[in-house]
Amino acid sequence: MGRVTGILQTIFVQRFYIQNTLFFLVLFYLLFGVVNGGNLVSYHRSLMMGFLGSLPFLLIVLALWALYGLKCAGFVLKTFQTQGFEFLYPTLGSLEKHRRMRLWLLIHCGIYLPVLVYGGVAAAVGIAHRLYVPAALVVVFNVLMCLWPLAVYERKLHHPDVNFFTGHLQRWLNRRFTKPPVLYFIYELLSNYPRRILGVKLACAGILWLTFYLLRETGGFDIRGLALGLMLCVIAHGQLMMQHRAFDDTYLGFLRQLPQPLWQHYLRLAGVYILLFIPEMAMMAANNIPPAALLTCFALAMSMLLLFRCLLYFPKMNAEIHMRYVLLSSFVTLFLVLGGYGWLAVAVMLPASLALFLYLFRSYETYVDQES
Amino acid sequence: MPAIIALHKVQKSYQDFPVLDIARLELSPGIYWLQGENGAGKTTCMKVMAGLIPFKGEIVLQGNVSSRQHPVQFRRLINYAEAEPLYPSFLTGRDLLELYLGTKGGDREHIRQLVERLGVKGYLHNPVSTYSSGMLKKLSLLLAFTGNPILILLDEPLITIDTQALAVLYDLIREYSAKGVTFCITSHQPLDQRELPLSGTLRVADKNITLV
Repeated sequence: MGRVTGILQTIFVQRFYIQNTLFFLVLFYLLFGVVNGGNLVSYHRSLMMGFLGSLPFLLIVLALWALYGLKCAGFVLKTFQTQGFEFLYPTLGSLEKHRRMRLWLLIHCGIYLPVLVYGGVAAAVGIAHRLYVPAALVVVFNVLMCLWPLAVYERKLHHPDVNFFTGHLQRWLNRRFTKPPVLYFIYELLSNYPRRILGVKLACAGILWLTFYLLRETGGFDIRGLALGLMLCVIAHGQLMMQHRAFDDTYLGFLRQLPQPLWQHYLRLAGVYILLFIPEMAMMAANNIPPAALLTCFALAMSMLLLFRCLLYFPKMNAEIHMRYVLLSSFVTLFLVLGGYGWLAVAVMLPASLALFLYLFRSYETYVDQES
Repeated sequence: MPAIIALHKVQKSYQDFPVLDIARLELSPGIYWLQGENGAGKTTCMKVMAGLIPFKGEIVLQGNVSSRQHPVQFRRLINYAEAEPLYPSFLTGRDLLELYLGTKGGDREHIRQLVERLGVKGYLHNPVSTYSSGMLKKLSLLLAFTGNPILILLDEPLITIDTQALAVLYDLIREYSAKGVTFCITSHQPLDQRELPLSGTLRVADKNITLV
């Protein structure tokens, strides 16, 4: 059993720390590198006392630990889906359940260890200062964070085809509804790249939150300021566009063989980006943006997203060249928006995207760089 | 009677490398075996005929449906089953079937019977990520028989499917052929002439296709 544990530690725990070296370097620097060595202990004691003594602060810390826990569980599940690791199903599946649960616990605690160590010290500090309730919260939370992933790993082992978006609900939906092509890319992101879409959406939420904050601080609403934040959100969606093209190239070739006119293909493309941008629009609506400004922002975002996506139908458009065009177009759009000509930008970009699509879609095929 | 399919000055290159250069080719209704060595351009030729990849020149169906002037009608009349079909992992067989029925049309009751005959019914609601290569192949063959095509292109249809499905496939080809549907089939395995009465053999070589 000791040998099995060692192999699994190599597969999961060591790989996790190696793949996340940069993440831990940054974290280590932020926690220990920015403080004078002599003040390190008092700094962390104060930090711990800070979140143990304030419930909102404690909730933020627990949320950060939960995110790290999700990252850990996601890594283990991703390993199961990685090509070359299929042997994990028959081998781990052959073990008795109690032995397997112990292995899951060892693997997960090994990955979650940094939080366990910091949380353990924080709980000890809390008890020493008679902060029993927050200390108990930290302990209970971390115990739960070590236990719930075990059930997820067990489920994954017995349902290899079930992933983030193909659970019971999805199976129920599969029997009752058919997925329209406009949803294919959203499914792809949620099924196979949940962290990527989550990352982009969190970045956009941060950008918009900062935009609203600055608008409030600088004396009220100005659509030009909002449009600037919006444009940054559109640019942040650039990496999803590259993913979108790769997905279309790899899996959706069959759609080209369907007897559909070009405008239907274009509407499908527009539908994908309308759906993708709903969270940002909802966030703006929730911040009491006037309806007219909301409409302007929506039109601007859609015209930019569609133009940038349609640029990728040029055969030799790689990520680097695409980013150049995206930044150049954004730069011109920025000046139009600042000058109060936002709708002019929409009137140019939207027809341009349609023209590019109509001209390039049928002649597009995946370009293979022979030098690479 | 006009040719079921006519290729005029069809050229296809990958980047600067020419793969196909067909001055003229016309096929009458029937069942054709498309032969050629590995890399000769059989699959490329099928993808060109199916309208899946861009090419120079023109393909005309039944003398009046042009790949350039009537791209939608053109795609309605040609169906294509890939040698190694690849679909997004989260889609179910039903998702794909409904998409094909919704765009290509066709008789639902007839398709329901095909689903049963090909043995696809049991897993139609499951995501394709759970399918074996044989199951995936059967699904792609089912999709190729959906709608009202006049020409069906089958790329290596005999590989990976079980003997029972193979017998059904031969039956289907004969039935559709009797209704006037033309088939173009690539296969490295010899086609059983007792099962499939061939109208001719097409040979792909030197970037050209010739009817033998």
